[in-house]
Amino acid sequence: MHGPTATAAASAQQHQQHHHSHPHADHPSATSTSTSTKMRVEDEDEIAMAKRRGEHAQLTRPVSELKDKWQLVPAFLKVKGLVKQHIDSFNYFLNVEIRKIVQANDRITSDADPTFYLRYTNIQVGAPTAEEYYSYATSPPIAPQQCRLRDMTYAAPITVNVEYMRGSQKIVRDNLFIGRMPIMLRSSNCILHGKSRAELTKLGECPNDPGGYFIIKGVEKVILIQEQLSKNRMIIENDRKGIPGASVTSSTQERKSRTNVVCKAGRFYLKHNTLSEDINVVILFKALGVETDQEIMQMIGFEDMYQQAIAATFAESIEHGITTQNQALDFVGSRVRLAKRAWGGARKSKVDEARELLASIILAHVPVHKYNFRPKSLYLALMVRRVILALNEALPVDDKDYYGNKRLELAGQLLALLFEDVFKKFNTELKKVTDLTIPKQRATQYDVVKKFRPQIISDGLTHAISTGNWTVKRFKMDRGGVTQVLSRLSYISALGMMTRISSQFEKTRKVSGPRSLQPSQWGMLCPSDTPEGEACGLVKNLALMTHITTDDEESNIARLAFNFGVEDINVLSAEDLTRDESYLVFLNGLLLGVTIHPTILVRAFRMLRRDGRLSHFLSICPNDRQRCVYIASDGGRVCRPYIIVDKNGPKVTNTHLERLAQKVLRFDDFLKLGLIEYLDVNEENGANIAMYESEIKPYTTHLEIEPFTILGVCAGIIPYPHHNQSPRNTYQCAMGKQAIGTIAANQYVRFDTLLYTLLYPQRPMVQTRTIELIDFHNMPAGQNACVAVMSYSGYDIEDALILNQASLDRGFGRCMVYRKQTVSIKTYPNMLVDRIVAPTRNRDDSSRLAKFDVLDQEGICRPGERVENGSTLVLKETPVNTSNPIQDPHNAAVQYKPAYVSYKGPCEGVVDKVLLTNNSEDNHLIKILLRTTRRPEVGDKFSSRHGQKGVCGLIVRQEDMPFSDIGICPDIIMNPHGFPSRMTVGKLMEFLSGKAGALIGKFHYGTAFGGDKVVDMSKILVEHGFNYAGKDFVTSGITGEPLSAYIFFGPVYYQKLKHMVMDKMHARARGPRAVLTRQPTEGRSRDGGLRLGEMERDCLIGYGASMLLLERLMISSDKFDVHVCRACGLLGYESWCQYCKASSSMSILSIPYASKLLFQELQSMNIVPRLRLETC
Amino acid sequence: MDRQQPQTGMYYICGSANCRARNELKQRDAIKCTACGYRIMYKERTRRMVQFQAR
Repeated sequence: MHGPTATAAASAQQHQQHHHSHPHADHPSATSTSTSTKMRVEDEDEIAMAKRRGEHAQLTRPVSELKDKWQLVPAFLKVKGLVKQHIDSFNYFLNVEIRKIVQANDRITSDADPTFYLRYTNIQVGAPTAEEYYSYATSPPIAPQQCRLRDMTYAAPITVNVEYMRGSQKIVRDNLFIGRMPIMLRSSNCILHGKSRAELTKLGECPNDPGGYFIIKGVEKVILIQEQLSKNRMIIENDRKGIPGASVTSSTQERKSRTNVVCKAGRFYLKHNTLSEDINVVILFKALGVETDQEIMQMIGFEDMYQQAIAATFAESIEHGITTQNQALDFVGSRVRLAKRAWGGARKSKVDEARELLASIILAHVPVHKYNFRPKSLYLALMVRRVILALNEALPVDDKDYYGNKRLELAGQLLALLFEDVFKKFNTELKKVTDLTIPKQRATQYDVVKKFRPQIISDGLTHAISTGNWTVKRFKMDRGGVTQVLSRLSYISALGMMTRISSQFEKTRKVSGPRSLQPSQWGMLCPSDTPEGEACGLVKNLALMTHITTDDEESNIARLAFNFGVEDINVLSAEDLTRDESYLVFLNGLLLGVTIHPTILVRAFRMLRRDGRLSHFLSICPNDRQRCVYIASDGGRVCRPYIIVDKNGPKVTNTHLERLAQKVLRFDDFLKLGLIEYLDVNEENGANIAMYESEIKPYTTHLEIEPFTILGVCAGIIPYPHHNQSPRNTYQCAMGKQAIGTIAANQYVRFDTLLYTLLYPQRPMVQTRTIELIDFHNMPAGQNACVAVMSYSGYDIEDALILNQASLDRGFGRCMVYRKQTVSIKTYPNMLVDRIVAPTRNRDDSSRLAKFDVLDQEGICRPGERVENGSTLVLKETPVNTSNPIQDPHNAAVQYKPAYVSYKGPCEGVVDKVLLTNNSEDNHLIKILLRTTRRPEVGDKFSSRHGQKGVCGLIVRQEDMPFSDIGICPDIIMNPHGFPSRMTVGKLMEFLSGKAGALIGKFHYGTAFGGDKVVDMSKILVEHGFNYAGKDFVTSGITGEPLSAYIFFGPVYYQKLKHMVMDKMHARARGPRAVLTRQPTEGRSRDGGLRLGEMERDCLIGYGASMLLLERLMISSDKFDVHVCRACGLLGYESWCQYCKASSSMSILSIPYASKLLFQELQSMNIVPRLRLETC
Repeated sequence: MDRQQPQTGMYYICGSANCRARNELKQRDAIKCTACGYRIMYKERTRRMVQFQAR
């Protein structure tokens, strides 16, 4: 690495060379070469030439700017980013990991027959098919859109090749069906994979749909990205008392465990939940075979600091009288918590048990071959050493919130966990059946293949994805809410969901650490996109260029490291590790060895990576403070691409970018040519990254591709976000997901339960690069409204907007609401089936009942018919008796009861489509799509793209609207008080750019950290005869006089949000009551009452309005007259007390029904409430 | 009031993009296009006149 201390002379020379090389980059000889390798050679020649001449030349020309560097972003998005990480991870699972899982569990044996075995030789996952066919092999492939419409699961058959014993015969069979695997859309096994836009459209799919989700029973489910602390890494953290300790969460294929080294009363202990008490680390070292105290000290460190810190621990071990390994193992063995004894296994001695524990459970991720405990003891020593360093404040404790310590778990990894679990269950079931069946004598030989139960795997997978409950007993994992239904409110909300990251922290804890924005999240996570409220900062979103790695093979990396001078820990003396000049080398958290040339090692690795000899996602970074080199190839790291900068400046030149534009080069070629590389958080930390080319210094290592990529999808919609107050951008990120617009190209054939679409969506006048990259301009959610910033009437206070009635008549903000009704015709256990009957007719004039008006002779509503509240859509009837067996199901005597499906809605709707289909669960499935068209009304919610939401306060006729000197009338009038406190300068700039764009007929850009400049916009305005500040001369529509001020006027992109008064408006006088309490029901959907709550009650009590209280809480609610016996105080009948057996002393009393209920409930619990009546 | 069961079935249109065949389906018929085997059917549009408010 170049330090900032590089000599000035050297840097000056480098600069000169750099400047000089540029004129030659445009030389025709450089551009004419076709192959990229050749080009590089020539570049080098030019550099050499420049070097020769550069010494004399006076070079003052500035660094020539890389033109259209941003074009790398769309190129990147073609291959990686956004939802590609989901797909990559799932592909990795389908193509690599599933094989590994099967290989690890490939053999089933039987206790009943020692010769029996079944071995899986291979596993394949095919293409998705429909379920209805008996054999998976003959069923045709199915499109995802069909699964959505038919409420089916988009899943593919999993087949295995096996070799097993049938009797004494060895049988080999291929392609046996063992279950169905839900397939992620656009993954390698999805039928959409590699299809063109035209082909996708033909399959009923939206070409802009990102994929990356599953379809389970017709519901689109996303497995959210889960954030976790990284596995197998040592973390030094303070405990509750502020004393540092080391902890490692080990995770291997077999088990997951957590090991801690803690300091108690100046002594060091190892804590693990299989141990009944904490164990002195010195004893543990002895148990691991490090018997001499000298060696233990060598491992930890010889310096006084370590000796003093650990002395007490040694003393305690001597008190226990432990000196040899056997004594130590016995000591550990007697403190093992008694686990469930494996069936049949002979009880082992304490020493053996301890040895087994040390080998496989404690620090499980450090491998132990043939009881060679050396790597493990060194790892333990390092943990102790780090704790001592932290105790003495020689090293700071680790930051748990640092993003390099985090790993993101994706669909592939989560499904791998689940699949391994269900596959194991499948095998144990098979073994159980085999053990039971083999001893029985049968006519036919036992064929294990016939005992396969594919439901175990199919149901296990689909159930977990559809409920989101991930339960893996082996890892004591029980997580809920892993999957969510893909929100299809708008295109942005669907896309935003795919980039969402949820973390495992409890939401209730009031800690700011995990919630706040970490500097290490720079460029990886969107700084704006997070929800408000309890999940604030815990739910995050990926930035535009972030990629999440998948696991990579590590054995050859280790070999390479050894070749570059890393010395194996197994051949070194303990002291070599703690020496001052030695750097420890870690590979994925495992101590690999020691090197004294960390810089060479790091440089060599990086060189090989840039050359494409190593995975592009490998990360290597030195840590000078900890004297370590960390190499990482594990999955789940976040990384992003950067342009490599060397002493000649950025490696990407204009020539390369031209070739990119000509589609000669693709993004992957940039990687292969070593022009661009991925950096993960840890490596990014050691890099010196220039934001712009002008900022490149001699020590710069990388150049940012485009600054706007630090924002995510939702924040990318905002024009000029860098001029807004930060929380406004966060508000917009939340609101963009609620904007009504186009949700997908196939929106009208999708049959969503609830779908909002805009009738005349427009693409924004002020765009951003992100908008183009994510295709928002093709699926817009909003309209360019002409906005005047002024006050009008009193109906615009508190952010309310004034709308122009003529604009509404022309279709501004008009939207359609589609609602789906599903009717399924079920078959009951007694073979009776639901039926649909023809509508009844009046006998006299054979006219139909009004509510059956839209039905046809089959009893289903017809498309195109208008329905109103109460109209019947399907005349379904269900059998009265569904459980008891019936002899003849077709008998006419079978009783049916009506289960009519009717329309309930605030306004008239139209039947849009009626779909009939069937699936494996229902033999008939009817889906009805109802449509209503709505025009904006007072109370509907609108928002610009700057977190400036407001409801419509008044709709004004165009005649009364103000108009400008060229006759322009605003669509929306917005109150200027919205600006000073919100400080959304970006919105002001959107006015200007939009207005200038409208004048010259061009879309302007408001890209973050760039975009069109205000000066240029003002120039355009002036050229077209407008005021440079965007203010217009405006005449009042009411008085006809000019307004006394110039009005800020221009087009702004306005979104209509899904919150509309029509869905919320509610009032009731009398209405339904709850059965149990006889109080009014709750909620709008049940036509409920408006609650007078505790706080309102408090007010009335405080005021002393006792009669009003009585009326609100009893008379208008659940007044009930009870008969009370004055003698015993119990409730009785009218003029009869059952307790006193008398009728003499009964009184009528009005009390709330709920209180009568309470008395009776208390009586049922053996508590006697007695009412004492007094005259007042 | 009398309840008349339909003697003839209703017509449905196959949902397959390149088929769109008109199928007659009765109450308990399996939902499957006779022409192409596709299992999604759409009901035909009403033949009654429908008037919309142009607002």
